Amino acid sequence: MKFPQVLATEFLKLRRTRVTWLSLVALSLGPLAIALFMWIVREPGRARQLGLLGAKADLSGISATWPSYFSMLTLIVGMGGLLLLAFIVAFVFAREYVEGTAKNLLALPVGRHWFVLAKLVVAGAWWATLVVAVTAETFLIGSVMALPGFSADGAAGAVRDVLVVAAVVYMLAPVIAWIATLSRGYLAPLGFALAMLVLSQVFGKTGWGPWFPWSIVASFVGSVGERVVASIAPGSVVVVALTFLAGIAATIAQLRYADNTQ
Amino acid sequence: MSTSDAIATHALGKHFGDLVAVDALDLSVRRGEIYGFLGRNGAGKTTTIRMLLGLIRPGAGEVDVLGRRVGPGTRDVFARVGYLVESASAYPDLTVRENLEIQRRLTGAPRTAVADAIARMRLESCAERRAGRLSLGNKQRVSLARALLHRPELLILDEPANALDPAGIVEVRELLRALADEQGVTVFMSSHILAEVAHLADRIGIVHEGRLLEELDREQLRAKERLYVAVRASQPDRAASLLAAAGFAHIERADGELRVFDAERRTAEIARALVGAGLDLTELSAVHEDLEAHFLRLTGGLQ
Repeated sequence: MKFPQVLATEFLKLRRTRVTWLSLVALSLGPLAIALFMWIVREPGRARQLGLLGAKADLSGISATWPSYFSMLTLIVGMGGLLLLAFIVAFVFAREYVEGTAKNLLALPVGRHWFVLAKLVVAGAWWATLVVAVTAETFLIGSVMALPGFSADGAAGAVRDVLVVAAVVYMLAPVIAWIATLSRGYLAPLGFALAMLVLSQVFGKTGWGPWFPWSIVASFVGSVGERVVASIAPGSVVVVALTFLAGIAATIAQLRYADNTQ
Repeated sequence: MSTSDAIATHALGKHFGDLVAVDALDLSVRRGEIYGFLGRNGAGKTTTIRMLLGLIRPGAGEVDVLGRRVGPGTRDVFARVGYLVESASAYPDLTVRENLEIQRRLTGAPRTAVADAIARMRLESCAERRAGRLSLGNKQRVSLARALLHRPELLILDEPANALDPAGIVEVRELLRALADEQGVTVFMSSHILAEVAHLADRIGIVHEGRLLEELDREQLRAKERLYVAVRASQPDRAASLLAAAGFAHIERADGELRVFDAERRTAEIARALVGAGLDLTELSAVHEDLEAHFLRLTGGLQ
């Protein structure tokens, strides 16, 4: 079984890579920014004195409470994650082409599908670490700020919401992997992720959201219409699962059958 | 295909749109030999190598490597093949040792293989340096170390001397010769540098515009190195007859000139024979034709 060996090499490739730290900084800025907004809402006078609040400031959607912070955490992991995980997956897959190493992987006594699966596991582990870190950060900041409205049920529900949305975001990652191997660069997968974010709004607003994978994330975190707390329609679950499997199959097929003229 | 063939291709072809990169290529590389695959830039060398390794799929024909047909999903045979395709490449953030460790794990080589490969390619001084900070020559050494690491039976090397300094070229040449002679490793190497191939190869295949034009073994290679006197004169037919009558036995006609062999010390005699018969002599020069001239003429680089 070659998979453990391939997986070990994929983790080794992350050594000394700044991208891991950059992604952590990027995502952890989300809870920090929300915390700043909540502080401004709570202390508008001091915020105005410090020049943090302009005349046309609108923070009406934010209240300085635990439920509001948890809701924002889900938004950060969902919508921010769609972009950030696309960035991670694009890096993990496309770097082989950008750094000229893809050809070194393709004539080995290792099935090419193992590379796809190992890279997805690495991206998943990376993503899971970020989600755990940003959730912990939210709990820490909320505690330091002594936000009102904390309850064990509310916290458990928030963690469950975050895990669900993180899982859905992850299941859309193989499509990004396919775009990265197809284009052999970083720009196309990132452009694709941005386009999907825009389309998620379009499909969400036109009522096709439950059938468009990226709108499913958007509607779950409440950026489109009414937020459906911790529930995804069974049809949408099937759509996400099929997207996940199709993405993996397409990436494996791309690596197995496409000419590598790099 | 013979069972002694390390590489065999049959009617191998590949085109990219209208561009025919490889056309009906029949190759046969015997086990234990060093085969030089010679061609100008764009002749189809790298495309052929990519097809040998399954990196690109043939548009026509078949490839057998170490007795196994290469196609999508081929993998076991590559445990016995080391390769270097085109430019050297490595993960820039990883050290030389870490880059080779990746190869070791993927090929299932023993733990000592990395240190052996580093020593063999004389990379000790930069083993802990990040690959991204290496010179081009050292990057090439890392790629060669990667190809050799799991002690393959067959080495497929695309321009292995790229970026190496003259001492490095000699070192690699000696290493490949030793691998072939002492361990029976088959080496298939492409190059556009004639001297490199001529010094090393047991056989040479000359490829041009995707087609194999000629295969030469060592004896035939030596035979291509020859001296002649190039003669251009009015009435070439009469000139040839006059020279034959004067006792010059080996005369060839090519590119509008007469080539008189075994005559390098008899140029004055040639001049007298022709001028004395009233012919205008426009050129009379001793020519040393080597493999390079042969190659250039064959591939259209020398008119």
